[in-house]
Order: sequence, then C-alpha cells, then structure tokens
Amino acid sequence: MQKAYKVALFYYLLFSLLLLASSILLFDIKIGFSPQAVLEYYLGNEEKFIIAKTPAGILKLILPHILAYGLFIMVSMHFMIFTKYKNRAIVQLLLYTLFISGSVELFSPFLILMGLHTFALLKLISFVVFELSLLLLFGLLFKSIIYR
Amino acid sequence: MRFTLIKDLKKENTMAPLLVGMLVFFFLYLCADFVVKQYGFGLFESQIKITLFGNEEEFLEGMVQSAFLEYIHGEIFFTMMLLLTLCAVFVRVAQEQKYKLSVLNITMLSALLTPVFLFTAYFYNAAFLPAYIATFFIWHLFSLLMIIISLQRLLFAKSI
Repeated sequence: MQKAYKVALFYYLLFSLLLLASSILLFDIKIGFSPQAVLEYYLGNEEKFIIAKTPAGILKLILPHILAYGLFIMVSMHFMIFTKYKNRAIVQLLLYTLFISGSVELFSPFLILMGLHTFALLKLISFVVFELSLLLLFGLLFKSIIYR
Repeated sequence: MRFTLIKDLKKENTMAPLLVGMLVFFFLYLCADFVVKQYGFGLFESQIKITLFGNEEEFLEGMVQSAFLEYIHGEIFFTMMLLLTLCAVFVRVAQEQKYKLSVLNITMLSALLTPVFLFTAYFYNAAFLPAYIATFFIWHLFSLLMIIISLQRLLFAKSI
C-alpha cells in the first residue's frame, strides 16, 4: 500500500476511535448501561420525567444511523482486503458479527416497544459486541499499517 | 475506491467526471459549513461561548451534555468520511506532487484535533476554544486547497 494511503488510513482509524468514544459516552448519558435504564428510556418513567418513545420517534433517530452503520462497516471492512488477513476466517467472522450486531442494536427498540422487554438486555449486548468488534477490526488494521 | 486502481483516469469516461462532481459537492459542503457554523454554532470565540455555555444576562441557556455529544458525534462522522474520500482522491491524482504528504498530514491532524479541542473546551476549560477555531479553519482551508488541486489535475492534466 502506498505510504500516503497508509497515512490517510491511520488518521481514519484515529477518527473512528473518536467516533466510538463519543458513541459510548452518548449511550451512557442518554440511555444508560443497564437493562432497567434501557427500558426506562424507551418505555418512559413518570417519576424520572422520562417520556415514552414512539415508533416514529425511534425511526427518526435511527434513520441516519441505518445509512451510517452500513457505510461505516463497509468502508472500514474493505480495508481488510489489502491486508494479510483477507483470506482468513476472522474477516468473515467480523463481517457477519458487525452487520448482525449493528442490526440488532438499531432495531431492538421497536421490539421493546412491542412488549418484548428481553430485548433491552439484547440491545445492550449487541451494542457491546458491535463496539468490541469494531475495536478488533481497528486493531488488525493498525497492525497491518505498522508492521507490513 | 476503484479509481485508485485505474491506470489513467483521463482515459476513463465515467470515473473522472464522477470524481469532479463529487469534489464540487465537497467544495460546496465546506463553503456551506462556514455559513451554517456562523449562524448555528459560531465561528468565533464570543459566539461559540454563548452557544456552549449560555449567557445569564440575555437569559440564554447553554448546550446540554447530550445535545453537545450528539453534535460532536455527527461532526466526527461527516468529517472522517469526507476526508477519507478526499484524501484518497488527492493521493491518487496528485501523485507527482512532493508536498502531498505534508498537506495530508496538516489537514488530517487539524481535523482530528478540532473535535478534541471542542470537547476539552466544553468539559474542562473554555481556554481551548481558540485552538478549536484555529484547527477548524486550518482543516477547512487545506481541504479546499486539496479539492482545488485535485480538480485542476482532473480537468487539465494530460494524464493521471
């Protein structure tokens, strides 16, 4: 890979880490990292003055994320084609894990609103899996830039 | 990123106009960003301070934490996607230019530091605002420079 492309990729990965950090902070401040907090955020809580979310409101919130998740995963993963990992099982695993955990994380609020409260825990798990998978991906890409 | 693998972009009927169109849109986006920031957020210290922290005398409330984080979250995403694509195009078309790595580093580093300084100014010390403003202007101006150089090469170079 030409040096200039490696430099651009290096900065992209740093930006991605910033994006991950801001998303974790946002999740913590807006929702909270417990199943109870997730339920309260979507179903509301009169005592804490939290308004219940509507399907239309959730859709408005996740709309830019639907595009962003797809684009971000594709752009980040496509760099793996230029690394030594391109034919290894880890690429396939990361690919499916990212898309599936991302989808569950985005659409589980609708199921929470439908009364399936178990999806509150699933939303948390899918968010954590999504973030950890991205961190693993970035780690592999950083390693490819530095050592290859 | 197929354009990085094409031997001579000038001989491609589709890719070169596609890149020109995209760069024009990026140029318009960056120019519009100055205007939107001026009216919605602030381009200079006094206005940004009011936006972030409010003004008691004028009964203006500052940005709440969640709104600030949402704002910076969106900014990071748009910036990184724009710059990744722009840098890929610039590196490809400005191949013979000796200064391209310097321009790349200045643009990317300043763009990376922009949200960091803004975050630090909001959560820790407003004294970081001048640094935020400086890096904001630097990455915008250098990005515009990269676009102009890339457009010049795509439109007027004999082969790229």
